[in-house]
Amino acid sequence: MTAPNRKPVNETDIKIPPNRSSRVPLPTRNEIVLLLLLIGTLLLAGRLSPDFLSSRSQLELSTHVWELALLAIPMTLIVLTAGIDLSVGSTMALCAVVFGISIHAGLPPIAAALLSLLVGAGAGALNGIFVAKLKVHPLIVTLATLAAYRGIAEGISLGRPFSGFSDSFTFLGQGSILGLPVPGIVFLIVLAVAAIMIGGTPLGLSLSAIGFNEKAARYSGLAVTRIKLLLYTSSGLAAGMAALLFVARRNTAKADIGTGMELDVITAVVLGGTSIFGGRGRLFGTVLGVLLIHEVREFVSWQWNRDELNLIVVGALLILSVLADSLLSPKKR
Amino acid sequence: MTNRTVETADTPIPSGNRSLSTLLHRLARQREYAVLALLIVTLSVVGAVNPAFLSGGNLRDMLVQDAPIVIAACGLTFVVLLGEIDISIGSLMGLLATALGQLCSPSHAALPVWIAVTLTLLLGTGIGLLNGLMVTLGRMPSIIVTLGMLTVLSGINLLLMNGKWITDLPPGLRWFGVGTMLGIPICLWAALFVVLGAVLLARETPLGRRIYAAGSNPDAARLAGLSVWKLKLFAFTLTGFLTAVATVISVPRLSVIESGVGQGFELLVVTCVVVGGTSISGGRGSIIGSALAALLLGLVRPMLIFLRLGVSASYWERAIQGAFILLAVLADHLARRTRRDARR
Repeated sequence: MTAPNRKPVNETDIKIPPNRSSRVPLPTRNEIVLLLLLIGTLLLAGRLSPDFLSSRSQLELSTHVWELALLAIPMTLIVLTAGIDLSVGSTMALCAVVFGISIHAGLPPIAAALLSLLVGAGAGALNGIFVAKLKVHPLIVTLATLAAYRGIAEGISLGRPFSGFSDSFTFLGQGSILGLPVPGIVFLIVLAVAAIMIGGTPLGLSLSAIGFNEKAARYSGLAVTRIKLLLYTSSGLAAGMAALLFVARRNTAKADIGTGMELDVITAVVLGGTSIFGGRGRLFGTVLGVLLIHEVREFVSWQWNRDELNLIVVGALLILSVLADSLLSPKKR
Repeated sequence: MTNRTVETADTPIPSGNRSLSTLLHRLARQREYAVLALLIVTLSVVGAVNPAFLSGGNLRDMLVQDAPIVIAACGLTFVVLLGEIDISIGSLMGLLATALGQLCSPSHAALPVWIAVTLTLLLGTGIGLLNGLMVTLGRMPSIIVTLGMLTVLSGINLLLMNGKWITDLPPGLRWFGVGTMLGIPICLWAALFVVLGAVLLARETPLGRRIYAAGSNPDAARLAGLSVWKLKLFAFTLTGFLTAVATVISVPRLSVIESGVGQGFELLVVTCVVVGGTSISGGRGSIIGSALAALLLGLVRPMLIFLRLGVSASYWERAIQGAFILLAVLADHLARRTRRDARR
C-alpha cells in the first residue's frame, strides 16, 4: 500500500481510452481479423474468378461504395460517443429531393447543391439539438426523424422523380480525375479531415471520453453539448454530400433513395470494431469494415448474381464478428 | 439546475397551487393518458370535419389495420422494458409470411392450414429464442444481434421467394385474415386476447414484476436473486411468437404474399412502444401505452384521407408520424422541466 515506488494514482489507475492508440498505428485484434477476412475474400475471389480482381472491374464496382463509405465516417464518431444516427438514409432522400426541386425551379446546379447541403446540415443539427440540448436518447430522436425526413421528402416531391441534370453535375458522380473516381476523391478528403481532427486534436480523446462516461466528461470540462451538436450536424452534412453523389451517379432524384442505408452504415461501423456502447473504435477499423462489406457483396453478386445471398453473408458476418469479440473478451458483468 | 432525482412511481407530486404543472407532469408521467387524450382529440376533430370518419365501418377498418402492430408491440414492450431492443421483427414477419404461404399453398408444400399455422408460430418462436440466446448467452448488444438478423432474415426470405409471388392461398388460410367470429374480425379477437394477456402478465404476475425490476436496475435485480438473462430470453421469445401471431392474422388479408411484407414494420412497432411511454433504457412503461400509441399512429393515414385534403396529402403521412414522436419527446422534456421548477 505504502510502497515508495508506487506511481501517482492518476497515471496508472485511470483507464486511458484505447483511442490513444490511434497515434500508434498498431492494428487491434478486430482489425487484424478484418484484414485476414478481407485478404481471404480477395484470394478466394481471385481463384474463382480472376477477372474480379482486375483494376478495371474493381474501379467499376467501386461506384457502389462511396456513399456508404462517406456516411460511415461521421457515424463512427457518433457511435464513439455512444450515440447513433438512424436518420442518414432519410436525410439523403430529403437532400436529393431538395436538389431535384431546386434544379427544377431553375436554380443553377451550384446553388442547388449548396442549398441541399445546407438542408442536410440543418437536418443533422435538429437531431443534434434534440440529442445534445434536450438530452433525448439518440435512438428515439433519429427514429423519429428517420420517418419525418423521408416523410418531408415524400411530401414536397409528391413521390415524383427528378432527372435530366446537366453533364457538369453528373461529372461529380460519374467522372474521374487522374484515374480516380470523383466520389472517391470526395471520400478521401472527408476521411483525411476527420482523421486529422481525431488524431491531431484532442477531439478524438474527447469523443471516447464522452462514450465511456458522459457525466465524467462533462464534469472534467469537455464541451459535450457542443461536440455532440457538431457531430450530428456533420452527419447530416455528410448525408447531403452522399445524396449529391448518388443523384449525380444515377442522374435521378427521388424520395425513396437511401432506404435502409442507415443499417448498412451501422453494420460497417460495428463490423469495423467500434463498440455500440461507445468509447472504443477507430476510423481505420471502419474503413476496413466498409471495404470488407463492399468486397464480399460485390463478389457474391459477381459470382452468383444473387443479391439475397449478400444480405445473408453481410448479416452473418456482423453477428459472427461481434459474437467472436464477445466470446474472446473477458467476462464483464 | 437542481439535483437529478430518481424517477420512481412513488416520487411525490407537488400539489396544490401548481395545478397546471401537476397536470402536465401527470400527463407526461402517465403517457397513457396523454396518448389517449391526443387520440380522442384527433378522433373528434376529424369526426367533426367528416362524420364518416367515426362510422362503425371505418373504425373497424382502422382497428383491423392496427391489430398486427398492437400484437407485436405487446411483445416488444417487454423487450424494451428490460433495456433491450429488437429491430428484426419486420424481416421476421416477411420470412414468416413466406413460410406460411409456401407451407400451405397448393403449388408448394400444400400442408393442411392448421399445420402450416402451427409451424409458422413455432418458427417465429424459435427465431425469437435464437435472438434471445445470442443476446444473453452470447453477451452481444441486442441492437447488433437484431440488426444482423434483420439482414439475414430478409436475405433468407428473398431466397425462398425467388422473385415470385405466392398467389394461391387456400381459403382456410384466408379465414385468418378476413374471417369473423360473432361479427368481429379474427384479427381483433387476437389483438384483444394478446393485449389482455400481456397486461395481466405485466401487472398481475410475479414474472411481470420481475421484468420491471430487472429493467429498472439489473444489478439490484441480480443481487436479489433474479436471473435477468432468463427474463430476457423469455421476452425475446415472446416477441418472436407474437410476431408470428401478427403475421398469421394480417398477411392472409390479401390474396397474394410478396417479398415486401413486413418492410419497415419494425420501425412502426418500435415507434409505438416509444410513443406509448416505455423508456428506451428500460424499467418504465406499459402495454396499454404501446397499444394506445399504435391506435394513435394508425389514425394518421385515414385522417389524411378523411380530412379531404386532396391526393397529395397522403404523401405527408410519414412526416406526420415522425412529428408525433418528436412531439411526445418534447412533451416529456417540458414536463420534466416543469417538475424541476416545481421542486425548486
